[in-house]
Amino acid sequence: MSVFAKELLAFFRSYGLVLTLIYMFTVEVYVAGAGVQIDAKNVPVGVLDKSAGGISAKILSRLRAPEFARPLYCKSQKELSQKIYDKEIMVGLIFESDFEKNYYKKLNPQINVLVDSTAASQSFMAMAYLQNIIMDFNKIDFPVELKTHKLFNQNTDSKLFMSVSELLSVITLLTVIFSAIVFVKEKESGTWEIMLLTPVDAKTIILAKSLSQIVIIMFGVVMSVGLILFQSFDVPLNGSLFSFFLLTFFYVSTTAGIGLFIASVSKTVMQIAQLSIVTMMPIIFLSGAWTPIYAMHPALQFLSLFSPLRYYIEGSESVFFRGSEFVDLLPYFGGVLTLGVVLYAFGFRRIGRLF
Amino acid sequence: MRFRVVKAFFVKELLELIRTKIILMPYVMPIMIVILFGYGIKMQVVGARVLIIDNDHSKISALLTQKFQNSRYFNAALSNQSEAEALREMKKANLDAILIIPPSFEKNLLKNVKSELGIFVDASFPSRANTVETYVEGTVLSLASEMGAPKSVITLNNRNLFNEALRDEEMIVPGLLGLVLFVAPAILTALIIAKEKEKGTIFNFYSSSVTKLEFLIAKLSVAFTLHSLNVFILFALVVYLFDLPFRGNFFLYWLSSELYILVSLGMGLLISILVSTQILAVVLTLMLTMLPAFMYSGIIMPINSMSGEAYYIAHAYPVMYYNHIVYDAFLVGSGFESAKNVEYLLILALYALGFFLVGLLLLKKELKS
Amino acid sequence: MVLRGLSLEADEGEIIGFIGADGAGKSSALNAIAGVIKFEGKISFGDLVYSNPKESQKLKPLLGYMPQGIGLVLYDTLSVREHLDFFADVRDLKKDAAFEEYEKRLLEMSGLSGFLNRRAGDLSGGMKQKLSLICTMLHRPALLILDEPTTGVDPLSRLELWEILKQNAKERGTVAIISTAYMREAQKMDRVLLFDDGEIIPTLGDDDASLEESFFQNARKKNKILPEIKISNAKRVANAGEIVMNAKGVTKKFGDFTACRAIDAQLKSGEILGLLGANGAGKTTFIKTLLGLLQIDEGELYLLDKKISDANDRKELKSKIGYVSQRFALYDDMSVRENMLFFASMHKIDAKRSLELIDKYSRELGFFDYLDDMPKDLPIGINQRFSLATAILHEPIILFLDEPTSGVDVIARAQFWKLLKELKEKMGMAILITTHYMSEAEFCDKIVLLKDGEKVADDSVLNLYKRFPNATSFEEIFLEFYK
Repeated sequence: MSVFAKELLAFFRSYGLVLTLIYMFTVEVYVAGAGVQIDAKNVPVGVLDKSAGGISAKILSRLRAPEFARPLYCKSQKELSQKIYDKEIMVGLIFESDFEKNYYKKLNPQINVLVDSTAASQSFMAMAYLQNIIMDFNKIDFPVELKTHKLFNQNTDSKLFMSVSELLSVITLLTVIFSAIVFVKEKESGTWEIMLLTPVDAKTIILAKSLSQIVIIMFGVVMSVGLILFQSFDVPLNGSLFSFFLLTFFYVSTTAGIGLFIASVSKTVMQIAQLSIVTMMPIIFLSGAWTPIYAMHPALQFLSLFSPLRYYIEGSESVFFRGSEFVDLLPYFGGVLTLGVVLYAFGFRRIGRLF
Repeated sequence: MRFRVVKAFFVKELLELIRTKIILMPYVMPIMIVILFGYGIKMQVVGARVLIIDNDHSKISALLTQKFQNSRYFNAALSNQSEAEALREMKKANLDAILIIPPSFEKNLLKNVKSELGIFVDASFPSRANTVETYVEGTVLSLASEMGAPKSVITLNNRNLFNEALRDEEMIVPGLLGLVLFVAPAILTALIIAKEKEKGTIFNFYSSSVTKLEFLIAKLSVAFTLHSLNVFILFALVVYLFDLPFRGNFFLYWLSSELYILVSLGMGLLISILVSTQILAVVLTLMLTMLPAFMYSGIIMPINSMSGEAYYIAHAYPVMYYNHIVYDAFLVGSGFESAKNVEYLLILALYALGFFLVGLLLLKKELKS
Repeated sequence: MVLRGLSLEADEGEIIGFIGADGAGKSSALNAIAGVIKFEGKISFGDLVYSNPKESQKLKPLLGYMPQGIGLVLYDTLSVREHLDFFADVRDLKKDAAFEEYEKRLLEMSGLSGFLNRRAGDLSGGMKQKLSLICTMLHRPALLILDEPTTGVDPLSRLELWEILKQNAKERGTVAIISTAYMREAQKMDRVLLFDDGEIIPTLGDDDASLEESFFQNARKKNKILPEIKISNAKRVANAGEIVMNAKGVTKKFGDFTACRAIDAQLKSGEILGLLGANGAGKTTFIKTLLGLLQIDEGELYLLDKKISDANDRKELKSKIGYVSQRFALYDDMSVRENMLFFASMHKIDAKRSLELIDKYSRELGFFDYLDDMPKDLPIGINQRFSLATAILHEPIILFLDEPTSGVDVIARAQFWKLLKELKEKMGMAILITTHYMSEAEFCDKIVLLKDGEKVADDSVLNLYKRFPNATSFEEIFLEFYK
């Protein structure tokens, strides 16, 4: 339909928007994936070794890259603490003078560890690495071998995870904004009224406009997935690409519905700004991207049912990492679609009406 | 610089904000974010869903199972499903981990023959996966130590500094201040100036003897005052609602916050000077403040763990410096004694001054032709 | 190039006028003199000389400036009193007895003394302009620059504004440079400069007849006269004289504010009905209720003999109604041809026929050469005509036009009315047109005059002439209704 074509034409003629699209879908995702790691890497360690023995040295030699940075040796407890305060080191190991003795005499040798626990998950992980190193060193006489398989993401490589997460955030942000702008621009220049007066049904017009933005975003997604995820990062795809795109399509449609909703209830740009933030924050936040849903308060868990991003994230992760089958994804599709339908219905009533 | 002129603009701006009710925005948004995220983000893994498949049905395997069921870190369930079925459940994202106890586990253990415990962990969410893995292994090993391990085992005696109880709130909330005070002042400033340009009242400035400096200071001072109040409101919120300790120097906290607000205002100012419609002002400000403030703040991960471009971007944004001081103020408490704090404070001051000067330079008292 | 070679000299107490269409360069000239935009050349005021905005800083304390647009310098949520205080503070004025006296006089002259606590956003258009003017004059500037301060204001307020300006010129020797859209106002000024396409054109005389003639002569010299407008092979859409629109007691409120109160009006095919009134009188609101863009609070509406109670009733009528909105809402990012194709497809005209129609109208209405240009690059006269063409592509019976002649130059306006006459006579269209140019009343068959949301006159043009035999123009006739 011509409305659709017109919107696409208008978009591509606007350089600013095109650039933003390209930038967000490529550079943003890339930088997030490449740089932001949730794994502890390069953990700065400080050491106060009063034992002057071989054991401590052996233990320390296991603190290697990439998890740990080269240990900084300190001469006093005070210095060690100071370095932690200044965030120069995250973990401080203290070997007391009787450490070596205790080790050989089997008298419960202990290493004191000071951990900067303001550093969120990294401190857990640093501790975990240390534990592993020590356990390995201990060679406990426990004839059980723990065979741990990390499924779906063998190296628990953050790159993949972060880039996918960032992609999802970018999709959300841009979809809401683009679809809201498309309507607000018409309202502001007065052309919306003219559209309403033509014989073409308002519903058709609204759908066509939304669809145009959806297609644009999908284009960006394809670009992102192809160039960044696969090309640069080698993200594995254990599931079906088709399912992912289908799910993405539904998600983008629903989010465009949110944009429509915002555009229809806002009279000024200020309101759009506020509403966008107010709706996007809870959506992103209740989606399970940062905290697993089962770990949230029950009240919040219930609310998260309304966040389309929740379904999308679980669905996408399932497709990318878990290789879930199509059938399993149906509840996700359903969730996203229902929300979408409700939003569109509301949008129609608000701005598609004549009297 | 005429005080009367600045005051006139200040009062007018304030009146407008009050009468259009926009004056609520600088307060509602930050508070909402702090509460939502503060209560919501839990980095800790609690209640991870573990499925235990016990193929041994012995006393020891029962002991092991019990350990999991009693631990608050796990939400453990015993099941008779097959491995394949369990894996399917995991694919459906219903499980975080699967523990498979092999048959003859107890027998082998007592005979000192090696057996294998299978652990499957859903690693789509790497940080959680690592933590879950560690906890699982740790739980198994605590069984080992209960079974009488030799005293030659080295144990780690860890002391969690600054956040003994390992509370999520203490880790996240101070960082939220950095996020909120970066985004909100910028948006308010960008909107205030863009609005005048769009409506045309900017001519009152262009055609009068009001100087650029007077105009800028007048506009910024409104946003500045409003958000300065936020510094105290957020402080009260954080201390009373989230029970955060405050171990540092309040003056340092206050000073750095004010400087930080100025930096944010500066950003908003620059954006509004370069842009002519409110729509663009909002979109641009949001893009340049919200996502980066979140990602590069150090909440999700510390800056020194970042590599490549992310590392440089993080250093370029003022968020990192402010967050350092805030965390110090609440949890660490070195105050002015720490050279780093002072250094960062000065960096913030430089940013604030820099943005302001650039804004002053770029602001033109004329129409764009 | 927006403005070229303007040379001007003015003495104390002189009122100079700039007249010309939108985009002719008036605002640019005013902006340059006011020092709010870059320019080439030199301006001197008394001892002060400046050639760019930075240097004009020294002029600013002596300058009073009002940009184009109603109430643009006002802050909607602030009261009249607060505005005066604000401007006094910003201009660092001493609040002594002389000042208070002056302020009181300004308030009296503008009739705002009783409205000190009213918020600017709640004032009528005329009052807003009066408030803007006294705020601009508060610091007793020696140079007053006003960009179309009277456009869209009701005739009575306009008179009052001129009174204030004349008084001021007499008493203080203020130099005033004022641009206006109304040629009649040339009489109130000491000297007039005519603007066309960025240049000053020679004036033939002082009254508006000779001013108009000046425009025509200039256009002929530049070979800019547009071709004769004629619609060929026009299809008759309706027989003349049938009632196509009937509004009974239409009322529309926005909260407490009543924009339209109990308005009755009838529109017949083959007739041009002029809906006149100042900005804020309710013209646009009324048209929007007729179109269905706003909901009627009270009253009844019949279109083409069908009673309209909701959107469903309008469904079949959509293809019979055409509309051109204020400022011609067009898509800036598409060319003229693309715009027309788009709207044609929205009216379900197939591509082949659309192209035929576009070709025909663009030739006959004189914008054929501009089909591939973008609206924002075109003069307003062209945009006006192609918006009209777009609105009649689907051969509607009723045509609603909302201020289509605003800001258009005199020649284009004349041709536009000729075009409307063709539509009315050859196609039998019923045309409802709103305008704030009282003088355009004579092109209409019937007039409805709105004042503050109410209808104060509803008569044929002929009858109005009969009722007011002494009036020399429509302006005077309407003034009667305003007093």
